[in-house]
Amino acid sequence: MFVSKEERAPPLATAAAAPQINKQSLFPWYAFSMDAFQGILKFFFNQKTVIGYSFMALLTLGSERLFSLVAFKCPCSTENLVYGLVFLFAPAWVLLILGFFLNSKFWRLFTGCCVNPRKIFAKGHSCRFVYVLGQIALSSLVAPTMWLSVALLNGTFYECAMSGTKSSRLLGLICKGKPQECWDELHKVSCGKTSMTPADNEEVKLSLQAQSQILGWFIICSASFFSLITTCCARCRSKVSYLQLNFWKTYAQKEKEQLENTFLEYANKLSERNVKCFFEKKRPDVFPMPTFAAWEAASKLHSFHQSQQHYSTLHRVVEDGLDLGPEDDETTMVLVGTAHSV
Amino acid sequence: MDKFRAVLDLHLKHHSTLGYGLVTLLTAGGERVFSTAVFQCPCSATWNLPYGLVFLLVPALALFLLGYVLNARTWRLLTGCCARGARSGGCGAARRAVLVFAQLSATAAVAPLTWVSVALLGGAFYECAASGSGPLARRLCRGRDPSCEARLPLAPCSPAQAADVQDLLKELKAQSQVLGWILIAVVIIFLLIFTSVSRCLSPVSFLQLKFWKIYLEQEQQILKSQATEHATELAKENIKCFFECTHPKQYNTPSVKDWQQISSLYTFNPKDQYYSMLHKYVNRKEKSQSIRSNEGDVVIPILGFVDTPGMNTAAEL
Repeated sequence: MFVSKEERAPPLATAAAAPQINKQSLFPWYAFSMDAFQGILKFFFNQKTVIGYSFMALLTLGSERLFSLVAFKCPCSTENLVYGLVFLFAPAWVLLILGFFLNSKFWRLFTGCCVNPRKIFAKGHSCRFVYVLGQIALSSLVAPTMWLSVALLNGTFYECAMSGTKSSRLLGLICKGKPQECWDELHKVSCGKTSMTPADNEEVKLSLQAQSQILGWFIICSASFFSLITTCCARCRSKVSYLQLNFWKTYAQKEKEQLENTFLEYANKLSERNVKCFFEKKRPDVFPMPTFAAWEAASKLHSFHQSQQHYSTLHRVVEDGLDLGPEDDETTMVLVGTAHSV
Repeated sequence: MDKFRAVLDLHLKHHSTLGYGLVTLLTAGGERVFSTAVFQCPCSATWNLPYGLVFLLVPALALFLLGYVLNARTWRLLTGCCARGARSGGCGAARRAVLVFAQLSATAAVAPLTWVSVALLGGAFYECAASGSGPLARRLCRGRDPSCEARLPLAPCSPAQAADVQDLLKELKAQSQVLGWILIAVVIIFLLIFTSVSRCLSPVSFLQLKFWKIYLEQEQQILKSQATEHATELAKENIKCFFECTHPKQYNTPSVKDWQQISSLYTFNPKDQYYSMLHKYVNRKEKSQSIRSNEGDVVIPILGFVDTPGMNTAAEL
């Protein structure tokens, strides 16, 4: 059986360790500044997603700047193409993989899936695995796209890579109207060491950088347009109304917090019982915990049914028991602000 | 307090990623210090290669060994393994030990690989080593004037030399950086595959794993505080009796066998839901039953965290 709804223990003592400040006794300006500070913190805390994404953008910007200042030096040899491409795409790859690592929906999807594939999805919906994986991949693609666009806006990476090209078509495009040295010595143009006039050298360099920046802007525009279209499509296909969706998100957040608090509480009680019994050499008394099957049922990925309004897997498990009904009418969570990020 | 809670949640949720991130930052910082302050390329044809290789590989080896030392699981595996004579379990126990050792090696390999990739990205070590390597110098100097091979090892020390040799150095640095990035890309994809596979093979569901990790942290804290309390009382009793020359009263303290039982490596039994060896021991059916190597006990890769709760348990243990 599951954990019954026992009396909740009082909130953890550690959380309320600090004594209350008696504001009346302090200077009014101190009280005012504390209020203002708390207000600012609250504001920032409410804008978590925006701040999260801007922080990621700042981090990407900072590391790109660092790389191009400290580490990136175009070798001005025949290896330009490989060098430039590696510097453009390897950080993007690393950011993509890191995105997978930090996405808890990914681990929810994979935990135990080889041991019992039916554990994650009920019969007949195996293609949902691919769908959810695609969703995760799309949300992990944000950071690499940011890196690519910032790196292209910078211009040095693309310039180095393109100047190492051997394809005659590309060379024809870049060196149109330039003397023959451009065709032979294009790989030296980043360092300014070709035998062309400095003006020509500068012109080729600037045109490569311009191409890079145009490409960078194009990527930014198309990525933002694409994300707008997919969000609109997902919302369009949503069988859940707008207000209910907002409620759903709030509920998911609150459930996550409650779950972690309860985990902490129960872990505390169970470990205290065990350690005490070890030291005092006593038999332990029975401690009610969810069964193995209950844990597995609660870890399934959630899908919404219009007939039963369950806002999470836990909600469904608690109300319906361990055997799940047929899944006839489904909808999926929208891409932005998913409820599965436990 | 709520804000600190949020930070704590982040710590619990991305515990291992934060740990690896910290290790990466520290290694990168260390590499910076080494290559700017300590490293001086000898610029001789015979010494460049060994010097560069030593700087590249020896700190990696040291970090690898440090990874073993700082992992509490190593000490769990090793403590008392010779003293106990013939081990119960025979082949099964040996196989388990090998699996645990392999996992330990994989975890310990993170810091040295980070060092090598950051060092390659920096370029100084590889540049020095490659300029002293005969075959590589011959390949680079192909088609250039004959003195190139002789001048190449001296190039890292004198930047004002001939431009063509400096170009070669730039090429070496570029090769080094490409190698570094490729190493990072390969390592990270292997890490993802390995972690996904071990998660896939986990017999325990996602939420239960989450609860498990929280349980272990709590158990570690409570064990420490209870042990301190118990030790204080026992010490007080003994010292009092020493000074007052009386007999100490009977103190109920866990026996050597009890401690041995809970110190062994964790094995998972699908029939029971025990979250640690302590939990298993406390819930055993008969008083004299041994909880080591029972029917159905297996070592699961994903459950390696059971033996190493918290980040710095080696210092505490």
